[in-house]
Parts: sequence; structure tokens; C-alpha cells
Amino acid sequence: MVRFKNRYVLCEVVSEDPRCRQCIEDRAVGLAVREAIARAHGDYGLACCCVSFTVKYLNAYTGTVLLRCRKDFYRLLCSALPLVRQLESRNQRYPCYFNTLHVGGTIRTCQKFLIQYNRRQLLMLLQNCTNEEERRSIRQSVLSCSLTEEQSQSGDEEDDDDTETD
Amino acid sequence: MSGAREKKRAKKMRNQPASVTLPAEPGPFPAGGSRACPPPGDVRSEGLLQYQQQKFLHQSPGTSYRKDQYFPKGQNRGGRGRGRGGWQGGCQSASEEMPKYITASTFAQARAAEINAMLKAVAQKSSNSLVFQTLPRHMRRRAMSHSIKRLPRRLHEIARKEAEKAVHQKKEQSKTKCRKARRRHINLVAEFNRRQRKNIWLETHIWHAKRFHMIKKWGYCLADRPTEKSYRACYRAMTKHCLLQDLSYYCCLELNGEENELLKQLARICSPDTGLMFGAEFCLSGRFEGSLNLYRADHYPEDMLGPVTFIWKPKDGSENRQLWIWMHPALKQDILNELKEIFQCSEPEEICIPEPFTTLIQEEKQTDVAVSLGKKRKKEDKDGEKAVPVKKIIGDGTRDPLQPYSWTSPATGIVISDQSMEILRYRLIGPLSHSVLTETLKAAALQTEMADSETELNNWWVENCKDSEKVSLHQQQTAIFELLEGISSPAEVPAGTILGLTVGDPRVNLPKKKTKAMPDPEKYRDYDKVRQLFLEGVPVGCAHSFIWDHDICKNVTENKISEQDLNHMRGQLLVPGSQLDLGPCESKIPVLLVQQPGKMAGEDRPGWGSGWDICLPKGWGMAFWIPFIYRGVRVGGLQESLKHSEYKRTPHTPNDYPDCPAGIQFAKELENSLLEKFKRRPPAKRANYVKLGTLSPFLCPWGQLTKNWEERLKASGEFVCPSFPHTESCATKGQSLCDPKPEVVKEASPETGEVEQTMEISSEGALMTEDVAGTQGFGEGDETMTRSIFIVLRSEKLLMQLSAWCYPTSGKDRRDRLVSRLGQKEMTEHALLPILMSYPRAIVWVNLSLLRKGNPELHAMICIPTEEDFLHLSKDQLFCGPQEPKHCDIFKHKIQKLKRKKKKKEEEEEDVKALESDPPGISDKEITEEHKDLILGLWSDPLPDVTSHCSRTLLGYVTRGDFSLAAGCGEALGFVSLTGLLHMLHRQPTDKKGLVLLRTPASLQYRFARLNIEV
Repeated sequence: MVRFKNRYVLCEVVSEDPRCRQCIEDRAVGLAVREAIARAHGDYGLACCCVSFTVKYLNAYTGTVLLRCRKDFYRLLCSALPLVRQLESRNQRYPCYFNTLHVGGTIRTCQKFLIQYNRRQLLMLLQNCTNEEERRSIRQSVLSCSLTEEQSQSGDEEDDDDTETD
Repeated sequence: MSGAREKKRAKKMRNQPASVTLPAEPGPFPAGGSRACPPPGDVRSEGLLQYQQQKFLHQSPGTSYRKDQYFPKGQNRGGRGRGRGGWQGGCQSASEEMPKYITASTFAQARAAEINAMLKAVAQKSSNSLVFQTLPRHMRRRAMSHSIKRLPRRLHEIARKEAEKAVHQKKEQSKTKCRKARRRHINLVAEFNRRQRKNIWLETHIWHAKRFHMIKKWGYCLADRPTEKSYRACYRAMTKHCLLQDLSYYCCLELNGEENELLKQLARICSPDTGLMFGAEFCLSGRFEGSLNLYRADHYPEDMLGPVTFIWKPKDGSENRQLWIWMHPALKQDILNELKEIFQCSEPEEICIPEPFTTLIQEEKQTDVAVSLGKKRKKEDKDGEKAVPVKKIIGDGTRDPLQPYSWTSPATGIVISDQSMEILRYRLIGPLSHSVLTETLKAAALQTEMADSETELNNWWVENCKDSEKVSLHQQQTAIFELLEGISSPAEVPAGTILGLTVGDPRVNLPKKKTKAMPDPEKYRDYDKVRQLFLEGVPVGCAHSFIWDHDICKNVTENKISEQDLNHMRGQLLVPGSQLDLGPCESKIPVLLVQQPGKMAGEDRPGWGSGWDICLPKGWGMAFWIPFIYRGVRVGGLQESLKHSEYKRTPHTPNDYPDCPAGIQFAKELENSLLEKFKRRPPAKRANYVKLGTLSPFLCPWGQLTKNWEERLKASGEFVCPSFPHTESCATKGQSLCDPKPEVVKEASPETGEVEQTMEISSEGALMTEDVAGTQGFGEGDETMTRSIFIVLRSEKLLMQLSAWCYPTSGKDRRDRLVSRLGQKEMTEHALLPILMSYPRAIVWVNLSLLRKGNPELHAMICIPTEEDFLHLSKDQLFCGPQEPKHCDIFKHKIQKLKRKKKKKEEEEEDVKALESDPPGISDKEITEEHKDLILGLWSDPLPDVTSHCSRTLLGYVTRGDFSLAAGCGEALGFVSLTGLLHMLHRQPTDKKGLVLLRTPASLQYRFARLNIEV
């Protein structure tokens, strides 16, 4: 048996307006991307890309979006992504654009990439901070993310035990 | 099913991060002022606090609880989200009054939270594999699954957990001793003895267990079928060479007593109608084995007990006779009880009966020997282990020494003793089975002096050889046995011929290699003598064998030379590999050869599947088994014997005796197992038998079938006598025709008797019919209580008549011949009526062969074709058969309703559970109990009229059906209702007589088949 191979596109929503974050949700993102593909590649391209196209993960606070597409047509998707100009939801519309960060074969690689990317961002932020208070808070968050890692793992193991006894 | 899948998926997905969106806003207008946005640091700490709380409270794993913990603000968009624990760091500033620029701290917190979520997802290993499987190939090491230390250290912890889990799942093996100790002979024998306490092992058990699928049945461990592919090979062995079976599990009851007394009582439990009696002349002399059907005393034709075979010990002057009755173990208890009852052998008198007494002594002796042996062992054993008195169990290992195994009658002195497992019985089937026998067995040499005065070895034989009369008898037996080499098939010898013999040890002349026994054409020397053997059978004296004598058997069993000693002697031969000559030390074993007739009824393949049975004293099983194997025979199990009887078209015990208790039991077990198998399939992949119009795919409702046919006949008004005197004459005629002893029938079937009585008494037709109806109704009431509401027709004369009627006219001269030979009448109402009256609820054993395509299966339905079907068939030669229209599933709706109800209840329960975290509900069980009666695709009780449920009228059911390798077409065996059969034959055109339709339970297609009754 051969599985269907997919490509996962990790991108970032960049917007001037902070209210745009409200629009970052499954349906709105999916519609916007599809619309862009339709504009760029027509009905054929849209149909090609729509096979198993979904939004696998998104995060409104960081603006991260993970899209899935069949491997054969991911080029169509990637080429159409820059053409997304706005997100619309609840009768609100905010201009924004998509910044492609990474294209991977599995969700896992994308997740790994995202971890690295976010770390880098945090470090950059730390280097560029201007006042002392900011520096302190950022340092705290950097520490927290590494600290909670261990905690979460131990919690994970405990969960494991729970399910086994069920 | 889907529940399990969802659970699995949930487990897999729980560490994956869910999408995170901003909390839902009611609208675009500014409303968020009310929402208190705590400073980020606070949120963070709150999240942590929650997290810790959860850690401490984690013992209650309810999902709703988690939901509450994680999504206090109703932001569970993803639904499945669990993984994002405590990351809602930046959940502020959702309102309109957002700052124009982003503060670095919130930005950083959002990133940190995401990193956390992702880390959790990535750290989790992929779902279903073990730890070392996730490692890249170059890091794998040998025996990683065995030893944790071979893994990288970071994975030790996880691997240790996995290993623990695996250990829990594995069964704990009892490793009290090391393998070497376990395999030591004394321990091995002890272990084997322990294992055969519960189920009796045959002597060839170990041999079979290595090569066969074993099943536990009837208190024995029996070989079911070979593990190798051998379906066709076994058939070929049966037709061309020889198939060997171990039938030692068949039970033997020995009756000892005065001939007249025995015969008088035995006549009550069988009937001359069905064929032989115990007192048949040729059987009584001991020259032939007979077979018959036993009934409960004076109950014929109801209350069948089962089929048996019997052998009389040849007369030896005295009035006391010995009789062996061989039967299937499933029937043994019923028959034994019945025999005890008719002979009034209620009390087990152990003192005056030799048999159990001797066994007791024997056992004591055995234990003595064993104890001394054990002591010796003990001295050697330094461990001081408990020395178990071990001796290989020979015979029945489950026997309780205190339980009686023989019973006497104080009045007549008749002794019944249970000889099961005392005498072994092997069956050789096939045209060359006599070649195998003659090659394997060599008649014992005469011996006049003892080999060793100390042992008892062969002392009976030496004494015997001093008597010249017995010597000449032995020589005669030997001569006849040697004549067997000259025959071409065992079927040529008269059926059931018995030949007694005393043979030497078959292990001595074992060939070096496995060879195939072939008849030697040069042995056809005494053609006249062989022909005399065919015509007259074996002379009276030659049926005698010493196997009838218990003392000799015991002696032979005890004085067997062990395999080890024999091999030792072989090793000491001067020329390695030359023939071993034991001289006077060679054991002499009395055996009994019984010819098994093959296919006797019917016209094709006469004598197919004939062979020889050989009876041996116990303990000699393997000594004879291996030499047989070395002559190239193939060994079969229970499946092969089933096929053998199927190709012979004879009923098989206990499958095809639906009227005896063992048969009823068997049918029940079969139904349960089939139902279980059916239920194991997912509902969408099952055959929907309701839609297919199959009322009972897993059992044959014989009682209902016969009942429905009776009602049908009454309703149609066919065969109802026009006037009374006419009926009476018919009835009397019928009596004279079908039962030579009318009074027996009257006694036996009270219902018929009543009918006749009413007929005699009443003078008016109307009154008579009323009475008949009344008695019928009464009878029905009775029958529901007594259960045995149908009988199987086994009267030979009637079967003969039926079989003649079943022939189509195309074989007209043949039929005429049959008719003239039997003095049969043509099929008219006059002839039919008495049969119908005397057997209102009978079924008949029939065989069916398909005209063209089709492979009949178990429980296929036998139906009556309509006239259009015949028309279609005559027009189109390639017409396969009509189709049954699809039925609608009237139960589907009900089942769905039930299911919905159940689901609702379950949901409610779940909610309740979630709220209160109750232990698993009790109401669940109630639902399942409620639900149990209705299974999708099966008709629930009670069944409607089985005969008229489908478009073609049902006649009967198939009990065994398969593609017959012997006939080259699909063949089936089964029972049909006698009433239905006569009804059908009466209406069919003469050239289409005996044509029926056959439909397998899981198909809508009918196939044409020809119905035959072979007598």
C-alpha cells in the first residue's frame, strides 16, 4: 500500500492592523486561499488544489497557519499564496498578506521548524529590545518555554498511565 | 467498532496542538470593555496554577473535566483540543481598543506558548511503534527488543515502560523446571498423565498431535484433520490405496449371559422393520458383524437411541454367550442406561465381577512397581524432588477406580461391562487395505516351549499350541489370511466378515524405508479357494480369536517388549539392518479383523470405501500403528471419516441422526457455533437471511417442518377418504404393506393407534374426521411437551417402495424391474393413504445430486419445483433454475428503533457519568439483554409456516452437502418430510419424478437436483 503524499505549507499572516487577528480562523483562511488560487489558476487549478486541502493548524496570536495540499499540486498553492490580499470574517475585512515560512512533507517537520523559527524570533527580540522592563519579560517567557517543556513531558507520562489503566 | 476507532484516534491526536483563534466576539461593535483583561503575567501564572491543579487531580480522567480545565472561556473551537494546555498567554487585547503597536512581552509570550505546544507534539513518538522502531536504521542494534540497555540512554525510560506493558500481556509460563528437566522421560510421562486426566487420549495421541489439528470432543482428544493439505490426497487414498483411521474412541459394551435371555431382551430395543436383529442367524454364529439402529425399549419408531454394530463371540459349546456392541461415544450413555434398564442390571457388584476387580489389582500392582521405581529414582535425585509414581497410562486415563464398570443382573446373571478403551480399533479404508494388512501382519509361529520360565510371556500361546485342535484352527486362519493377498478389493469378501487371528510382533518386520504396499499379482494362485471364500465367507471356526479372553488380553498388554528393548536388540545384531529374530521371545497378539462393507445401496460405485477394521488389545496401539504407516497408508481424522460417509451416502453419527439425543445435542452445538461465527462479522458484511427468505440458516427445524406439512395436508383436503369402509380397507392394506407387525406400531406410536381406533369405533365419516381432529389436537398438545415430535422413517420396506416411486420413467425398465421385484404397487391414492395415516410426521433420508451447476451447503433447502419451472427446463436445456424474489426485512425497523433507544440511553448515561463519575452502568446490561433477541439478518422466534414462506414449497433440509469428488458433481444428503415427498411425487409428471430444487441459505438461486432414496 502506498499512502497519498502531501505537502504541508507553513505560513505566517502579516497584517498592519492588529484587529486582523480576529479573522484568523479555519473558514476565513481557507476561503481566502481558495479564492486566491481560483484567481491565479482558474477552475482547474482550484479543483487540483482542493483535493484534500485543509487548514491543519492555525494560531491567531502568532498568526501561524499550516495548510495541507496534495504533493502533486503544491506548487500551484505556493504560487497562489502571495496573492492573498485580505481576510474576511463576520463582515469584517482586513488587508494582510501571507508569508510562506516552510514547506514540509509531514506535520512533524513543520512543527520542528516552527519551534526553531519561534526560538530564533525570541532571541532576535531579546537582542533588539530597548528598555530593561521589556528585556526582563522576554527573558522570562524564553525561560518559561524551556521550563514548561519538562513539566509537560512529565504530565504526559502521567496521562499515559491513566489511559493504560482504563 | 467505530467507538474503538475513535478512541484510538483520540489517543493519537491528543498531543497534537489544536488551532487557536481569538475568543468569539458577539459583533463588530465595541463591546469588549466589559471583558476584563488581566495583565499578561497574571494569566500566565493562572495557567500554571491550573496546570498544577490538574496534575494533582489527575486521577479522574473525565473528558468534560479536562474541558473545564482547559477552556474556561469557551474557546474550544477545535473540539478535540487538549494539547494546548496553559498556553493562552496572550489572550488579551481582543477588543477594539487595541494598541497601535505590539508590546514585545505579549509577542514573546505568544511565541513561547506556541513553542511549548509544538514541543509537546514533537516529543511524542509516533503512535503504534515501539521505541527502537523509531530509531534510524544505523542506530539500531541487535536484540534491542530484548535488552533495554542496547538502546540510547535517553530512550531507556520509555523502553522500560513498554517492556513492562508487554510482560503484563504475556501469559506467565510456569518455569518451575528447566527444559531439560521437563523433557526427562519420567517427568514427561507424569506431565502427559496429568494432561489426560480430563480428556481421554488415544494411544496414538502424541503421533496425531504432531500432525493433526486436535479437538476435544465427547470426552476424548481426537484428531480432526491433518495440518497439511490433504483433502484430495485423502480421497485418493480412499479410492486407490488405503486410508487409516484410529477409531479407538468408539465404545464397546460387552454383554455376557445366556443366549435366549439376551436375545429376548435385545429384541425389544430394535425392530425387524429397520433391517437386522441381534438374533440374525449369520451374525449369531459369530461369523459376521451386524449393524442396526437401537430404539428405546418398545418405543419403535420413536425414541431412537442410535446406530450400533455388534459382534457375537462364536459358540464354544456352553450356553453363555459374549456379545460386543460397538457404538459412538456420543451415544454411549443413553444406550448403556437403556441396556441396564432392560436387563435390570442396576447394581454394580464389584466382588463377583472379575473385570473391575482385576483392574484394581492391576492398578495396585502398578503403583507398587511405580513406587519402588520412584524410590530408586529418589536416591539418584540429589534435589530431593518429590518422586511421583509414574507409569504410562494405558487405556482410559479418566477412569475412577472406585466407579463401577460392569453391572450384573441378579435375576438372569447377565453381565454388562463397559470395555471402552480396553480394545483398540483401527479402520483401514480402501481397495488395497488387505495388502497393507497382509504385509504388516504375519501369523504367529507355533511355539511349544516357554522362552523363559520366569515370565508369563506367551504362556497362553504355549499352552494353546499343545492342543492339536487349536493348532489346526490357527493354521486354517493363517491360510485364509494369506488368501486375502489374492483378492482385488475388500468389497469382494462378504459384508461384515470376521476373521480371528494371532499374529507376531509387527515391529519385527518393519521395512527400512516407508514403502507402498501393493498387491502381488503372483499371489493369485488358489483361485478356486479365493472364490470359495467370496461365496461362503469364512468358515465358522475361523472367527474365533483370543481377544475375547480378558486374561489373555491382559497378559499380552503387560508383557509387551518395550520399544527401547527392541531397539537395543536391533543394535546388537551382527549384521546391522538385518531382520531381527526374536525366536520364542516374540510376543503373540490376538487380533480380530472385521470387513467393513463399502457402498452397498444405490447403483453407482458399488463397494466404494470398503475396508477392514482391526481390533487389538490395549497397549499395542503404536506397535501396530507405525508398521501400518510404513506401508504407505494415509491417515485421516474426523473430517475424513465424515467425507467417507458422505461419499458412501450413509448417515454419519451423530450428525445425521436428528431424532436421537446425541443428534439433538449435536444440532444445538452446531447452531451455537454457527451463530457465534455469524455474529463475529460486522453487520454490514453479514448475509441478511431475512431478506433471502431463509428462516433458519443454522439449524433444521424438523419438528416444525413435519407439523406444517401435516397441517397443510389437512387444509388441502387431499387424500381424504371419500367413504369409511374404503378407508378401513386401505388402512388394513397399509398395515399389511408397511408393517408386518401391526401391533408393534400400535404400541409404538400412540397417535396412529388412536387414529385407527377412532376409525374403527366411529360409524359416520363426519364424526370420524372430528375425532381425528380432536386426537390430533390432543397429540399436538402432548408433543410440545415431549419434544420428539417427528420420527425418521427407517422401515426398509417402505423405503424400498419410496425409492421405486422416486425413479423417473426414463429408466422405465429399471423401475419396472424394481417394482416387479418388490411386488410394489403403482402410486395411487390407495397405496399412499395408509402410509400417510401411519406416519403423519416422518422424515426420510434422501440423497440429491445436482443436475448441472451448484454446490449445496449445510442447511440448504430442498423445495418443490412448480410447473412453470419444469416448462422452462424442458424448453431450455441450460436453464439453471429459478430465482427467489427478495423478501423484505420486517425486523430491520424494529432493530433500528431499539438501537436508537439504546444509543440515547447510553448518551444519557455518559452524561450522568461525566457529571457524577459513576461506575459503569447497570442499565447497559439490561439493554443488551433486551437487545439479544433481535439480530439483524436473522428471523426471530417463533418461525412462521416454514413450508410456504418462500415462492417454492419447502420439502426438507440438507444436513451435508459438498462437491463430491467421487461423483463429479454437487451432492447433498438430507431429510425431507415424508408427507411432502408423497405429495410431490403424486403430482409430478412421470418423466420428471424426483426432480427438486435446492437453494443454499445465503443465495436466492434455486438449482435443479435429482432426489434419490437408496436402500
